[in-house]
Amino acid sequence: MSDTDARTAHLLLTHEVAEFLYREAELLDERRYDEWLALLADDLRYWMPMRRNVKFGEEGREFTREGQDIAWFDEGKDTLTRRVRQIQTGIHWAEEPVSRISHLVTNVQLVEATPSAAEAREVTARCRFLIYRNRVETETDILVGKREDVLRRPNDSEGGDGWQIARRKIILDQNVLLSKNLTFFF
Amino acid sequence: MSDPINIRALMPGTQITLTDGAVAEIVSNPADGVWVFARYLDSPRDPALVGQEEMIFAQDVVAAAPPK
Amino acid sequence: MATANSSAYRPGLVDMKTGQISREIFVNEQIYAEEQEKIFARAWLFIGHESQIPNPGDYAAARMGEEAVILCRDRTGEVHVFLNSCRHRGMKVCRYDEGNTMVFTCPYHGWSYGTDGRLVGVPFFREAYHSQLDRAQWGLVEVAQLARYKGSVWATWDPAAPPFLEYLGAASGFLDLQLDGWDGREGQAEVLGGVQKWLIPCNWKFPAENFSGDTYHNISHRSVDLAGIGPSGSGRRDMSELLAGRKLHVCLPDRGHQTILYLSPPDDTPRPAYQNTPLVAEYFRHCEEERRRRLGDKARLLGAPGEIFPNTALLSRQPRTMAAWHPKSPHETEVWRWFFVDKDAPSEVKNFLRDYYIRYSGPGGMTEQDDMENWNYAHAASRGTIARRHPYTYEQGIGTAVENFEWQGMRVPGRVVDITDVRSSEEPARNLYRRWAEFMQADSWDELMTWRKNARAAAE
Repeated sequence: MSDTDARTAHLLLTHEVAEFLYREAELLDERRYDEWLALLADDLRYWMPMRRNVKFGEEGREFTREGQDIAWFDEGKDTLTRRVRQIQTGIHWAEEPVSRISHLVTNVQLVEATPSAAEAREVTARCRFLIYRNRVETETDILVGKREDVLRRPNDSEGGDGWQIARRKIILDQNVLLSKNLTFFF
Repeated sequence: MSDPINIRALMPGTQITLTDGAVAEIVSNPADGVWVFARYLDSPRDPALVGQEEMIFAQDVVAAAPPK
Repeated sequence: MATANSSAYRPGLVDMKTGQISREIFVNEQIYAEEQEKIFARAWLFIGHESQIPNPGDYAAARMGEEAVILCRDRTGEVHVFLNSCRHRGMKVCRYDEGNTMVFTCPYHGWSYGTDGRLVGVPFFREAYHSQLDRAQWGLVEVAQLARYKGSVWATWDPAAPPFLEYLGAASGFLDLQLDGWDGREGQAEVLGGVQKWLIPCNWKFPAENFSGDTYHNISHRSVDLAGIGPSGSGRRDMSELLAGRKLHVCLPDRGHQTILYLSPPDDTPRPAYQNTPLVAEYFRHCEEERRRRLGDKARLLGAPGEIFPNTALLSRQPRTMAAWHPKSPHETEVWRWFFVDKDAPSEVKNFLRDYYIRYSGPGGMTEQDDMENWNYAHAASRGTIARRHPYTYEQGIGTAVENFEWQGMRVPGRVVDITDVRSSEEPARNLYRRWAEFMQADSWDELMTWRKNARAAAE
C-alpha cells in the first residue's frame, strides 16, 4: 500500500470512528437508550476508576485498579441494561424528571487498528468528553475527561457501519466527585 | 551565589556541601524537596556535628555530588 | 449557658412528646455553626480503617466534621490522627490522599513533622530562632482520644468524652456485625481500595436519619427493585432474612445509636444465597455454617442499616459498607464511603461483592441515587421562611418501643420496636434527634453520660 493510501485509510477510519462516537452521543442525548444498548458488545467492560491526589513520582497510586478496587463504574452490559431499565420505570427519582444532557465528544484519535486501517475489525480510539447535564430547575453538572474505547466490528454485522463498543475506560478529571449522582452514561 | 539545587530526588550516599562549608552524606530523603537527613562528614563551624545525623534544609545546600 | 438568647438552638425544636421536629435544625446557619462546637468537637467520629495504613509511615487523608485530618501510622506502628494544618501559619502539611512518608513538611516555610506529630524540622532554627523555639510545644495538633476497634479507627477532640467502648455501649454489637468475619471470626474486615468521596446538596442529618433505620422509604427504591440489581438479579437483596424471623428497630437512647436488626428463630435453617454464582454460594454457605457454630445463639442476629451517633452509617450485609456524612455547610455534605470484605476471602468472592457494592451504593449506585435525590430536594424545599414554620412529623410508632425485648429466648438491648408486622416505625430517627438535642444543650460531657448517673443511683 502506498504512503498516500495508508494515510487516506487512516483518515477515513478516524472519520468513521468519530462519526460512530458522535452518533452514539446523539442516541444518549436523545434518551434512545435501547438503541444505545444495541451498540454495546455482550462482553463490554465499562470502567471509570477513581483518582487520588498522589505525590510526584507515585503516579502508580493515582487510579484505582480495574477488577480489584472500588471505582465509580466497573461493570458490563448486564448492569448497564439494568440502569436503562431503571430509568425506563419512570420512577427512578434521581432521573425523573429526566435530565437534559449533551455529550460533547472531541479530540478523537485513532490509536490502533487491527488488522489494518484499511480493513479494520477492531480499533482503539481515544477522545475527550464534556458532558453537560442540567436537571430540574438549575442543577447543572459539567464533567470533563478522557475516554479510551475499543470498538469492534463483528464479521457478520447487519446494517450500518456495524461498530460495537467492546471496552470503555472513562477517565474523569475529578477527585471528590462534584456531582451528587451518575445517573447518565459516559 | 550558586544556583538552587533540587534536593527532592537526591539519593542516599550523595555528598552535599552546605552554606557554612560543612559536608554531609545523605542517609535518607523524604522526597519533599525541603529536607534531607544527612550525616556530617566535615563541619568547620561546629566540629562536634561530625558523625551526627541531622535534618538539612534545602536552602542550606549549595552543591551535591552523586554517590560513587 | 447553653440555651442563652444568643444560641439559635433552643429546646422545643425537637419535640419528643409529639414527635415533631422543626425544619430549622436542618437549614439554619447558626444551628449548623453550633453543631460544629457542640457535636463535632465533642463526639467520637469515624476516621477510617487500619487496612488503609498497614505499614509504618503510611497515611491517609481523613476528616472530622469540616476539618481535614491525617490518619497515619508512625515508625513504631502506633496510629495517630492529626489536624492537617501547620502550627506556624496553618498551611496543610499533607495534600495527598494516601501514601507513605517519613515526615509531613509544610510547603510554606518548611516546618516538618514526624509521623508521630513531633516538630522535627524548623528552617534556620539556630539562626533565626536563636534555638529558642520550644519545638515540643508546636507539634501537630493531635486528637484528645483515639480508639481502634477491630480495625476501625475513631477519634474525638474532647478529653472529657467517655472512652470509646463506653460511648458505644451496646452498639459495639452493631460494629461487630460490620467488622467480624462472615464466618464469625472477630475483626476480619478490610477496606477495598479506594474511598468514594462525593458532594450532596443537603444537610448531613438527612442521610444520618435515613441510615438510622428508615424502613418506610421503599418507594424511593422501587425502581431498583423493578429493574433488579441483586447479585442474582432479583430485588435489592438476596438474603431473605425476614421470612421466618423478626425485623427490629433497636435504639440506644442514652447513646443516640440505633439500627435495624434481623432476629432469626432458634434452629432456623440457613437459606441459600447467591444461587446464580456457585463458587460464591458455596463460600457463603460454608461461612454461615461456621458463623452459627462459633456464635451459637448470637448468630440469630443479623445487621442492616444503622447509625453510630452522630454521623457514621453502618451496613453490614448487602452491601457491606460504612459511610461518614461530613458536614460542609448547612446545605451541603461530603459523603465518604468505605466498602468491606473479609481479608482472606477468595478473590472471586471479593470481586463478586465489589461488583455488587458499587452498583448499589455511591453516586453510581442505583439504590443510593434515589435516596440522595430525595434528600436534596427535601432540604431545598425546607429552606424558605414559610417552610420553616412547619415541622416534620416523626410520630410513626411513637410510644410503641419496649425495653427488655425478648423473642424466642433472645434478649435484645435498648428500646426495641418489632416492625415485622407493623412494617415500619420512626423510633430510630426519634432516637437520633433526642440525642442530638441533648448534645446541643449540654454544657459538658457530664450531662451527657446519663448511664453513669443511673449506675451510681442504682448502686445506692
